[in-house]
Amino acid sequence: MTDPQTGQHDAPGAACPVCQASVLEGDVYCEACGHALGSPVCAFCDAAAVDPEGYCERCGLRQPTDRDHAEIVLVGGAAAVTDRGLRRSRNEDAMALLASGGATVTVVCDGVGSSPRADEASEVAVETAAAALARGLSSEEAFDLAGRAVSKLATSVHDAPACTYVSAVVEPGRVTLGWAGDSRAYWMPDGTPLTTDDAVPTGEITAWLGADAVGVTLNVRTFTPRGPGHLLVCSDGLWRYLDGYAFPRAGSPLDLAREMLRHALDSGGQDNVTIVVIPLGEAHE
Amino acid sequence: MSDQAAFTLTIDQNKYLPLDGREVHAILTVGSTGGLTTQAVPAEAAEVIIVDTSGSMSGSKIREARQAAVTAVQTLRDGVYFSVVSGTGSAKVVYPSGRTLSLVQANPATRAEAAKAVDRLLSYGGTAMGEWLKLAGHLLSTRPQAIKHALLMTDGQNNERADVFASVLSAWSGKFVCDCLGIGADWAPAELRKVAEAMLGTFDYVRDQGDLPEYFRRLTQASMSKTVADLSLRVWVPQAARLMFVKQVDPVLLDLTGKRADVNPLTGDYPTGSWGAEERKYHICVEVPPGQIGQEIRAGWVKLVHPDTQDVLASGNVLAQWTDDLALSTQINGNVAHYTGQAELHDLIQDGLSARAMGDVETATARLAKARDLAGASGREDTAKLLDRVVEVDPATGTARLRKNVDKEDTIELDTGSVRTSRLRREES
Ligand SMILES: [Zn+2]
Ligand SMILES: [Zn+2]
Repeated sequence: MTDPQTGQHDAPGAACPVCQASVLEGDVYCEACGHALGSPVCAFCDAAAVDPEGYCERCGLRQPTDRDHAEIVLVGGAAAVTDRGLRRSRNEDAMALLASGGATVTVVCDGVGSSPRADEASEVAVETAAAALARGLSSEEAFDLAGRAVSKLATSVHDAPACTYVSAVVEPGRVTLGWAGDSRAYWMPDGTPLTTDDAVPTGEITAWLGADAVGVTLNVRTFTPRGPGHLLVCSDGLWRYLDGYAFPRAGSPLDLAREMLRHALDSGGQDNVTIVVIPLGEAHE
Repeated sequence: MSDQAAFTLTIDQNKYLPLDGREVHAILTVGSTGGLTTQAVPAEAAEVIIVDTSGSMSGSKIREARQAAVTAVQTLRDGVYFSVVSGTGSAKVVYPSGRTLSLVQANPATRAEAAKAVDRLLSYGGTAMGEWLKLAGHLLSTRPQAIKHALLMTDGQNNERADVFASVLSAWSGKFVCDCLGIGADWAPAELRKVAEAMLGTFDYVRDQGDLPEYFRRLTQASMSKTVADLSLRVWVPQAARLMFVKQVDPVLLDLTGKRADVNPLTGDYPTGSWGAEERKYHICVEVPPGQIGQEIRAGWVKLVHPDTQDVLASGNVLAQWTDDLALSTQINGNVAHYTGQAELHDLIQDGLSARAMGDVETATARLAKARDLAGASGREDTAKLLDRVVEVDPATGTARLRKNVDKEDTIELDTGSVRTSRLRREES
């Protein structure tokens, strides 16, 4: 409708996205239902109705968070992806990938499903350890700092957030891996495992970060890449689907990471999936 | 809100749905501290005691009713605003006397005067329960701030036109709470069930007259202990969803679904009446639109509100998440299953008793035998005992048949008691 006096249109969106009552420009709340106007827009129904808890007040759906799916690409080509997967309500994996001086640093942690607030554990571990490694601290020192940060999240040993841990520092001619638990590193494309799990044959892990972890020491391995290839660092959400898998050979590290993620999701996506691909060995040519 | 009772709302459910799953069930537990610790002055309370004095109440029934009413009067706390009404084809205030409709504050003198007035009540004339409730409603309305309650004592026989009675109930529903007490061995639960459901109250039967004063004292004290008036459950569901039902399931079954007052297209208020220090449970069921694997939806957003002030006293989310993991989606939530069973038991007893009354032996036998099974399995020993007196199940063959010469009082007790529910027994760990 056009007002003949002012030529202004009745704003077509001047209805509350939740209750459809008309609202005035400049209103902060809908008079009729109290909905906060100007809320973030829902990714599913387009209503400006996402509340602070992350649910749409019109269609009800929980909004995807930054952690549900994220990608990182470094200038040198190294790439990382993390994804909630298909079965879990949230992503309790966390990852860091950064360049520091001549080194590429990555840390991947997988929140222990049976512990509380495991998403916080993996996040704080990754942030703490990646920052420490970027400052040039050793793998053991970074692991130690991350362990303390995770332990601080606990209110008691019965309420102890926990996560696994794997780190890689890639320098020219030298790769240093550190791990505890069942997050892994592989050599690509032939798929040679570079780490050995801290786990019993039935799969339960025997080492983790957390206030309830006793006597856990970091496994450390340093090696020189023998030829061109890629270092793969990942959580069990990928490696559970690697039996008999033909690793992709063509494409950028991001292409490779995305293709492996697709494989994990196509195979069932039971768990959160985190994949880091760092190119290695070009310097040998 | 320092003068408010503290409320908690917790939600118990299995949020996982199979991929084609649409129905979300949850048990809400609402608890109140009653506000006695934070409230300096107890809330104002208003009470109307209604005594059926119609012709059908003659003889021992009117004596019984008088005794019960005197007990109710004597149980009134000092300061409570009250009145006594007698009901026949019309309704009359028997205490306090006076031309204008008003309530009087309880004290030793007014309680004694009221008891004297009750002792003079005689039975005569017709029955129009709607008229009695209407008068009680008008009397209670003279104390707008008060927690309003009525007690109705009657043999349950009503000679009013059904549509007239129903319109009175719907006009006054939610305005005050009314508990009903059946008097005499031959009273009819059907009308009192309507009153209890509309007025958010209970209806009960006390078999042994000697227990009547004590029962009444409990009932009056329970209503006098209410400190927070008229709260509602405000339930939001998504635009494409459907709220299938909202039921109180503990301590008694009470279907609130039809009592919805729309707040907006997605939200409705369901009255819960007044609250003291107590805990109640509600069962809600929402049909959500189809979803994607891994997707999570807020299927219900439940708030306990003061509908007048819009204050939110407690809130919680009913969630659903679609998964193809059968281990997750097939998990039975203990409380949802238990209260679903209790509601089914209620329906079986009601269906069984009405089939029995209509001479449909086959249906009555099947329903009541199944009820007997369910009562035993869910810890309802009293109900199981009553069912055993109505239906006989051969333990070896499982064959059931209705008993002959059943005591009328047993069927009334079974009928009225069927709204009560048991709590889920904690598993021994
Ligand atoms: Zn609105
Ligand atoms: Zn939406």
